[in-house]
Amino acid sequence: MSDSQFNLEEIDRLIQSMKKAAKTAAEQAESFPAVKKNVDRILASIKMLEINISDIITLDDE
Amino acid sequence: MTDGPVYWNPVLETYPLEKIRVLQLKKFNKIFQWAYDNSKFHRKLYHEAGVGPDDIRTLEDIQTIPKVDKSAMQDIQRKDPFPYGDALCVPLEEVTEYRQTSGTTGQPVYQPDTWQDWEWWSESWAYLLWAQGYRPHDRVFIPFGYNVFVAFWAGHYGAEKIGCEVVPGGVLDTRARILKIQELNATAMMGTPTYILGMADTAVNEMNLDPSQLTISKITCAGEPGASIPSTKRRIEEAWGAKVYDHAGATEIGAWSYECLEQPGGMHVNEALFLVEIEDIETGEIIEKPGRRGKMIITAFDRQAQPCIRFDSKDIIEWDANSCSCGRTFRLIKDGVVGRADDITKVKGVLFAPSAVEDVVRGLDGLGNEYELQIDTVDNREQITLQVELMPESETRRETIEAELGDQLRLKTNLRYDLKFRKYGELPRYQVKANRFKDNRNNL
Repeated sequence: MSDSQFNLEEIDRLIQSMKKAAKTAAEQAESFPAVKKNVDRILASIKMLEINISDIITLDDE
Repeated sequence: MTDGPVYWNPVLETYPLEKIRVLQLKKFNKIFQWAYDNSKFHRKLYHEAGVGPDDIRTLEDIQTIPKVDKSAMQDIQRKDPFPYGDALCVPLEEVTEYRQTSGTTGQPVYQPDTWQDWEWWSESWAYLLWAQGYRPHDRVFIPFGYNVFVAFWAGHYGAEKIGCEVVPGGVLDTRARILKIQELNATAMMGTPTYILGMADTAVNEMNLDPSQLTISKITCAGEPGASIPSTKRRIEEAWGAKVYDHAGATEIGAWSYECLEQPGGMHVNEALFLVEIEDIETGEIIEKPGRRGKMIITAFDRQAQPCIRFDSKDIIEWDANSCSCGRTFRLIKDGVVGRADDITKVKGVLFAPSAVEDVVRGLDGLGNEYELQIDTVDNREQITLQVELMPESETRRETIEAELGDQLRLKTNLRYDLKFRKYGELPRYQVKANRFKDNRNNL
């Protein structure tokens, strides 16, 4: 199955903006455990998206 | 047949192998750099070997990096940062999960994981469960004690990630677990081959219940070789009326391989998450081509708290020359994990793997599932003794079975055995993992 069935670049762009948004939320709530700890979990899930998608994109860039 | 997409990751699982290999080199360099920068143990190891992150330009260069094995981990642990020692790559407060190895071969190895590592564990299980047909409509029963061994913890979370309903079957005894499966119409379960066979045994002999009439349609077996041994797989499938799929993973490594729906006679290596090298046991050279067995050296690309880099697993595997009809480009290892390097030994000058005995014993009608194998030195000569259980209904065929057993063992292993027949139920029953092979030659 080729990766042309999926717009991986667009998915990756969305992944990176989720990551940026999560980190920004954490920075703005440094002493707010409910935000900080939930963002930690979100970032861990985003890492899984990067493993599945972003790692392939950056490969094709090289 | 399953519904929906065939692959958990339709791109990576069908990526051309040459592209996967480029990805592997890139990811290896990342984890190598990570360990070098963050682990005193790894940095010292690599510095003493004269290798550093800038030295790895090809997959062949990876072979210059020193291996780590279980004993090396045992040596550095139980020290600060306690109890993990110098291989810990993150601050202790970022460790959210503690697990350990079973300790059947000595002091257990402690395994720390961050929350991200734990997500990665469930991600690696999602790959394998999806490949085995698990879908959101499945009700997955997990007959596992939920303790310090990682075992099926990640299977639980991997099934959840896929969207299955997960029924934790801890604390319940075997009978209660069988009744719960029946009560809830569970469709899938996970366990060691030993335990799954034991459950069937209990159902038939103690509860007058035929497990093949229950609703279980698929079983993932892990924790010990068995599900890739044809006769063991057949016995489990017939007992439960279900499809049985093998998986190999380890506490220190992750969920690195899996059988798919096609049951190709081997397991796919998850080459997106792991780099598998096969090392010739005698020469140490890396075996690139199919057809020769060797010891697995493995790297997990994304595990951060305690990296797994060129870990000498002692598992014996070989590449399969064939590709799989499932369409995955992740390579197959033929016949799964065929044994352990520490179990493979020479007996009377002949190379011997205990798993060959299991295939013979469980392939013969009239013998029970259990067996015990031991090697002793008697009057300065090596003696190999095999104890098996004769099923009650086969007692009149004992001589025939004994002759067939001896013949098959000679054919498969090139050795003669002192065969002892025991009554059904006399041999030990193992709860989770079996320890059926004892080499007493060095015991004085």
